[in-house]
Amino acid sequence: MIPDAVRDSLYRIGAIARHNTLIRRRDPGQMIAYIIMPMILMVVLKPLYVRAVPGGTTQVVTGLLVMFSVFALGIAGNSILVERNWQTWDRLRQTRASSAEMLIGKTIPLFIFMFFQQTLLFVYGCLVIGLPVPHSLGFVVLAIVVWAFTLLAVGAALATIARSSGELSMVSDIGAMVLSSLGGALVPLSIVPGWAQAGAHVSPGYWALAMIKSAVRDNASGVLVPAAVLAGLGLVAGAFAVRRLTHGFGRARML
Amino acid sequence: MLEACDLVKRYGPVTALDGFTLHVSAGEIVGLVGHNGAGKTTFVEIVSGLIRPDSGRVTIGGKSPSAARGQVGVSPQHLGLYPSITVREHLKLFGRLAGLRPAALSSAIDDMAVALRLTEIMDRKTGNLSGGQQRRTQAATALIHRPSLLLLDEPTAGADQETRAAMLAMVKQCAGEGAAIVYTTHYLPELTELGATIAVVRDGRIIARGTDDELVQGLPGEVLVSFEDDGEVRVSTTEPTATLIDLLRNAERPVATVEVRNPSLDDLYRSLAVSHDS
Repeated sequence: MIPDAVRDSLYRIGAIARHNTLIRRRDPGQMIAYIIMPMILMVVLKPLYVRAVPGGTTQVVTGLLVMFSVFALGIAGNSILVERNWQTWDRLRQTRASSAEMLIGKTIPLFIFMFFQQTLLFVYGCLVIGLPVPHSLGFVVLAIVVWAFTLLAVGAALATIARSSGELSMVSDIGAMVLSSLGGALVPLSIVPGWAQAGAHVSPGYWALAMIKSAVRDNASGVLVPAAVLAGLGLVAGAFAVRRLTHGFGRARML
Repeated sequence: MLEACDLVKRYGPVTALDGFTLHVSAGEIVGLVGHNGAGKTTFVEIVSGLIRPDSGRVTIGGKSPSAARGQVGVSPQHLGLYPSITVREHLKLFGRLAGLRPAALSSAIDDMAVALRLTEIMDRKTGNLSGGQQRRTQAATALIHRPSLLLLDEPTAGADQETRAAMLAMVKQCAGEGAAIVYTTHYLPELTELGATIAVVRDGRIIARGTDDELVQGLPGEVLVSFEDDGEVRVSTTEPTATLIDLLRNAERPVATVEVRNPSLDDLYRSLAVSHDS
């Protein structure tokens, strides 16, 4: 038996999620781009990676998957920031929905998109690029779920401090390039200088890449440690976002 | 229904509310009148739970604003709509967030479409609507759950005649059903039409409250005497009848017409503006 308060809360979350799915469906361009672009790049860059490093096929699929999933962070951020441009966030705050309900309702459709994006790229990698099919799909699913959660939380946190869409794009695009490059998604870490290899550990992209590569190889400990690091980062970013959203985000000054 | 006592709200050196006190009963319409920056919108934002006062107390049906959000409907001064979403989808969203389940929601949407003349535009995206249609849509999202307290912050600003008429009729209906209503506006005849009691806000507090007749007492009206040779005399006075008699008695030319204009809410508003500027 579900208590009435919980049922009401789920109903409101469902309403916001359904509403945001509609908004996404009516403007799908960015989402389509972040699926098609890595698919093309995987085909184009595969020969280069195969010649450059051992396990080049795995590197090109997982690296581009991580890089373009980080780009999708901008979609998450924009979906929250745009509520301030439209002056709708305060309108939602004036309803019975709490800030946590609003954030969860907003991110559910994005989470589904990110899960779909990464799963599709993974399947495409296996079927078209030649990525070895992992024996344990459970690790792959876990890796995708944790990485999508982390990206959403970080995207939401960024949206609450950016003052415009341009500023958010700058932070998320440059951040995506830096973090995925530093993390070894673009250039394999085995061929970068020692200082860059040491610095890679501060990049969430490094942990995501390590987690997804380990999932392909069915390496349990290789999945769980990065998953714990990324989940921790996601929880901190998510808590920050909820706090910002509760304390005057809708009224914050825009550029 | 709404009790606001001694509210104070400061933004740095600016005091937006300074001892703001207002009580609104169920079924009562209170028109908040005052110049821009007087504190009307800050008050609405505190009551709707968007911001907290630095001191003072607000209760809605005995509850705090955050606990009473389900009982309150708010139509803010600025438009806050999703441009790619239709009118019907807006009403569904806000109805669901207010807790309306499918059957009640469907019926409420139909009622709202008729009452605010939205029937023809229900399936159009709000980004493609006129300003007046957007205003009506926004008001509908505030009213969809039939709140017991309605906060309407300049709901007819920039609206056409059709929007204004629909909005006023709806507000009267809600008050007739027992809702307490706070209505801020610069269009003072609307308050007369609504039969609202008027609360005059200046420098963050209520400085006068009463019916329009009570509030304009003591303000000067105007006597205009036109002469047959096209000349005229215009006198501002608190005693129009005596002034008119005096003018006619002393007239040295043939009088064509006389006009006596009693003080109106516009005069009240102008006097407030003058005292604010000075």
